[in-house]
Amino acid sequence: MLLEAQGIVKLFGGFRAVDGADLSLNRGEIVGLIGPNGAGKSTFFNCLAGDLRPNAGRIVFDGHDLTLATPEAHARRGLARTWQVPVVFAEMAVRDNVMVGAFLRHPQARAARRKADEVLEFTGLAAQADAPAGSLGTLGRKRLEIARALATEPSLLLLDEALAGLNATETQVAIDLVRGIHARGVTLIIVEHVMSVILSLAQRAVVFNQGHVIAAGAPQAVIEDEAVIEAYLGKRFRRPVP
Amino acid sequence: MKKRHLLFVVLGILVLAWPLVLHGVFIQHVAALLVLAAISASAWNIVGGYGGQVSIGHAMFFGAGAYGALAAYTDFGWPPVAGVPLGIIAALLIAVLVGLPTFRLQGHYFSMATIAAVELLRILLSNVSVLGASVGLMGPARPRGLADLSFRSPVPYYYLFLAVLALLLVVTAWMERSRLGFYLRAIRGGERGARSLGVPVVRTKLIALMISAGFTALAGGLYALMVGFIDPESGFGLLISVKMVIIAALGGAGTLWGPLVGAAILIPLEESTNALFGGSGTGATYVVYGAIIVLISRFLPGGIAELVQLLSVKARRRAA
Repeated sequence: MLLEAQGIVKLFGGFRAVDGADLSLNRGEIVGLIGPNGAGKSTFFNCLAGDLRPNAGRIVFDGHDLTLATPEAHARRGLARTWQVPVVFAEMAVRDNVMVGAFLRHPQARAARRKADEVLEFTGLAAQADAPAGSLGTLGRKRLEIARALATEPSLLLLDEALAGLNATETQVAIDLVRGIHARGVTLIIVEHVMSVILSLAQRAVVFNQGHVIAAGAPQAVIEDEAVIEAYLGKRFRRPVP
Repeated sequence: MKKRHLLFVVLGILVLAWPLVLHGVFIQHVAALLVLAAISASAWNIVGGYGGQVSIGHAMFFGAGAYGALAAYTDFGWPPVAGVPLGIIAALLIAVLVGLPTFRLQGHYFSMATIAAVELLRILLSNVSVLGASVGLMGPARPRGLADLSFRSPVPYYYLFLAVLALLLVVTAWMERSRLGFYLRAIRGGERGARSLGVPVVRTKLIALMISAGFTALAGGLYALMVGFIDPESGFGLLISVKMVIIAALGGAGTLWGPLVGAAILIPLEESTNALFGGSGTGATYVVYGAIIVLISRFLPGGIAELVQLLSVKARRRAA
């Protein structure tokens, strides 16, 4: 078991954004987190990454209790994340952005640079290495976020809508990138709206609605689940038989 | 690259050798002040420029250094230079005491907290009689020996300051390439992203502030050595802090050479307006500072460094 989250509750005032959600994850899995807007999946995700402190519940990652640990402690333990809206260091060069991540395991600048260049090559950003990160478009920024996170050499990578807002070609390139990351031995949790992405990438899908996990299992089975269809579309409308 | 090296050699020779040729006391005095201002602004630049933590309270470290030097003389009869380390230690303590609570604040709130801290210290100090209260402290009126480092000509001070500036530039250049420098720039770029990559934000800021405070205190000690007088206003006054920020911002905050360029422009300007309009550090000086703040923030937030970069990019495009 790489990650075990039990009974996670997150309150915003009186609103129970996440209300007793569980998730356990084996090493080497790709798990998709899906659900309609406002279902609480991003909040849950932020609790896992240490950016929000859950009000109740317990998160154990790789044998360490990280329930109330800081984001930087998560990174040190090998749990990296990207953001839905990229937060790259716009004034720094692309390579320097990645080096910030690489410094976590390689305190010497030369080693960090070598690691950064390797990750840039892998993520297809090598050509833009010297450009300021602020000059990248959305696609490039999302890719840079993934590169930065990879440079911290995580065992678990959380991708928050890394593929949102991409066109069909870009999505395919991104899917290949995620597969490549998985092939390097990184376990992944992906939050995604685009169902086709979940279907082609995830081995398991976990569906959120109103702060609860309402279904979990193989993606194809999950999307045919009555409760899931109802959460997304409402109750099936029965056409009156003429 | 070759051309650039040559430029540095020529500049280096000019910086080192001009006092042998020019003997005017005014220009020598201005040059010494210029180098001193470059030291303070470069020290500020470590945390304020690279780290983006815009402290407007760095006078608290400058004042600590200056008071350390002259209190050692007044209260113990030591040569002022022996008090400089005391001032640096005091500045490091202040850095930890002020840094830990204020680093939780971001942006303008951090700046305002540093102003509050330095004003508090200034007012406290005005009531401490062993530190001269509001009258201030004097250095030895006549040198008792070489250890007092009391010279008539500004030139020895100029070379002393130059040596300290060189040391600070070496430290900054090393930092720029090291993990500390990358982490500081990451923090300036966004704390949320930095933390998610494992950057220990508070520890990084604190280390930077301590390096910065140590060198600012050293600048204050050197100032006290040369001027031989310090009072709450000239040590902890708001204008002392503001000056460091303006010099660094004018030249280019977060760059190695920016504070030097800023000092090379601002100090001669300030000394000439003082000489032309009379009064020292009042009236016209404020007008000049205000105008510079407005112009930089409106037209050139990256300072002259940004301008140079823009021009060189344009030139390269034209060449290509």
